[in-house]
Amino acid sequence: MPISSFYGLQTSLRGLIAQQRMLDTTGHNIANASTVGYSRQEATLAASRALQLQVAGASNATGAHLGSGVDVQGFRRVRDQFLDAQYRGQNSSLSDWKARADALDSAELSLAEPGDNGINAMLGNFWKAWSDLSKTPDDAAAKTALVQQAGALTDSIHSVRQQMVWAQESAMGQYDAIAGPGGNVERIASELAGLNKTISSFIVNGDSPNDLMDRRDVLLDQLSTYGQLSVEQLDGGSMNVAFVDGSTGLSYPIVTDRTADWAGPPTGDWSPGGQMGGLLAAGKSPGGMIDGYLATLDQFASSLASTVNAAYGGDFFSIGTPPGASIAVDAAIQADPKTIVAGTGASGSNDVALAISQLKGNASVDGAYKAFVAKVGGDLNEAQRMQANAQILTDSVEDRRQSVAGVSMDEEMTNLVRFQRAYQASARAMSTMDEMLDVLINRTGRVGL
Amino acid sequence: MRITTSMVQRSILADLNTLSVKLARTQTKAASGREITRPADNPFGTSKAMGLRSNLAANDQYMRNIDDARGWMDATESALDSITQFVKRAQDLVVQASTDTADATSRSAVAAEIAQIIQGVKETANSSYGDRYIMSGTETSVPPYKLGDDDTYQGNDAGHDPALAGIVREIGPGVTMTINSVASELLGSGRSDPGDGKLLNVLRDIADHLAADDGAALRSGDLSALKQQLDGVLEVRARNGSMSNRLDAASTRMDQIGLALTDQLSKTEDADFAQTMIDFNSQSAAYQAALRAGATIIQSSLMDFLR
Repeated sequence: MPISSFYGLQTSLRGLIAQQRMLDTTGHNIANASTVGYSRQEATLAASRALQLQVAGASNATGAHLGSGVDVQGFRRVRDQFLDAQYRGQNSSLSDWKARADALDSAELSLAEPGDNGINAMLGNFWKAWSDLSKTPDDAAAKTALVQQAGALTDSIHSVRQQMVWAQESAMGQYDAIAGPGGNVERIASELAGLNKTISSFIVNGDSPNDLMDRRDVLLDQLSTYGQLSVEQLDGGSMNVAFVDGSTGLSYPIVTDRTADWAGPPTGDWSPGGQMGGLLAAGKSPGGMIDGYLATLDQFASSLASTVNAAYGGDFFSIGTPPGASIAVDAAIQADPKTIVAGTGASGSNDVALAISQLKGNASVDGAYKAFVAKVGGDLNEAQRMQANAQILTDSVEDRRQSVAGVSMDEEMTNLVRFQRAYQASARAMSTMDEMLDVLINRTGRVGL
Repeated sequence: MRITTSMVQRSILADLNTLSVKLARTQTKAASGREITRPADNPFGTSKAMGLRSNLAANDQYMRNIDDARGWMDATESALDSITQFVKRAQDLVVQASTDTADATSRSAVAAEIAQIIQGVKETANSSYGDRYIMSGTETSVPPYKLGDDDTYQGNDAGHDPALAGIVREIGPGVTMTINSVASELLGSGRSDPGDGKLLNVLRDIADHLAADDGAALRSGDLSALKQQLDGVLEVRARNGSMSNRLDAASTRMDQIGLALTDQLSKTEDADFAQTMIDFNSQSAAYQAALRAGATIIQSSLMDFLR
């Protein structure tokens, strides 16, 4: 079978086209080097269908294959789905601890310990005021000073409690902004549903919509910040996405194929992990950590009131609900500090003041508060430490992911040179063909001319 | 492992951030002078520091209570000293008047002086510390005696009678001390309570005996009765003296405990300044090195070497 004289031109042309596509892909990679979630792409090349020849003298007479150049088969993104899954798991755990640490940080800040303005210092001054009164039990000035100190103590308890309530409310506000109606999850769910639809329609046609798939992976990364995800790939390029409750194993669908399913968080208790899990652990009521602090603070306030009142033999502090927000010096005493009873005997007796002054260092008051501060500090310390650990793990998975999917400028520059040279070489091959044909067309059969 | 541009940038940024966080923490430490600025820095240390601060505040209060108690004891001691002088003077006068050479005129002159001594003793018993009478038990707003002929003790027995709480000061953790001496213990109620055998009663009897020109009674009973009163006063003074010693000892102990507490608090809570500055310098050197290395790595690329 004769071969066309122009066969070689066609082969070179295929080479030129393929190298040009490779250069285009390199350009795309370089342009998107800083795009969040972009995975590098490469053109997949394959040798084009060879020309089958009958070659005289071939031993088995099956012919020979003459190469016909190269074809671009497609463009694929270089990405490892397993690393994605690992990254999302670590990212959930990182956001969990980060949310906890942030919420507890503002709770802890309100304590102002150790220092001269915290409850501990105020408590110390309060006991001192009683001790001073025990030295001058009938002195109106000492009684007024005592009422002032007691007021400063109750004020600082109120202010710590209020700031903790604010920390709790702010955590729950963030949680609602993520999971509630019109929140981030709902928004991402509808975008994911749309992407699922578009992507599967491309894939059915045999295309690979790399950049859309990158966008979908970015959204999944973002969702993994909010909670622990389960991602189920469907045939045809679509996927089901759901939050998974880490303790019950139940799943709460976000997107099922092409439908956005997110209908807000469940009304009952759940532990979704991620930022939602961290915010819930810190801020939910009842059962959250800050809720526990408030209960401890209330306990401290009521035991302060009951201990002092018992030694006073009457109402020095009045208390309501919640105790930490309502503890106050009894109204009658506030109105007239002179009515404070310092001793049960004559004007010089000081047994009551002395008994209350000796309450200092009491395990159910001073000791309880000290333990409370240590607990808050310890919880935050743990959350910060765990956050740092999770950060290291997340970084290392992200490094591995970037190692596969990231754009390396040096590599792209090398490719640029390589493809350019290949393009030049293909062009050279073409001009060689041209010269060959020149000989055939212009110089052949001109004997004697 | 394939190293990509974004990995390099991320890791440089992460390293710089880690170093900045360390630097900022050291900076806070240097500026505040505190090792622990928040409970989360060191939960155990925080709770320890809070305990030490409370102890230190209480210690301070005990010191002030001890100072106040000392003032009270000093006032009591000086009153008792005056009473001792009065009793000694009365002794001298009775010795003079009891001799047979003394006649009715000289005895009545001595009687007048004894009457003055009685008023003097009562005035002394009425001494106060601040605006509180120190010898009338817990009735600190009432003087123990009215001047004049009425010798009735006006206060109560709190502090002398073990059933009644007296003037008590808290001088240490769980340590209290009753600091008052009650006038009725020494002086009694004179004629209002005849036969209590206390100082005022004895002095009034002596005055009567002098007025009655009864030398025998002066010689036989009164001198020894006065001697007994003097012993009584000295005994109370000795008791007060030993209480003052106890206060001194407590004060010294509080001083030492205060020093130890301050030292411990400083070790728990305060930053070691030299260490902090060394840390700061080495961290800022590391930070600058990281900046330089980062800048070099980010800037260079294959593009610099391709034509």
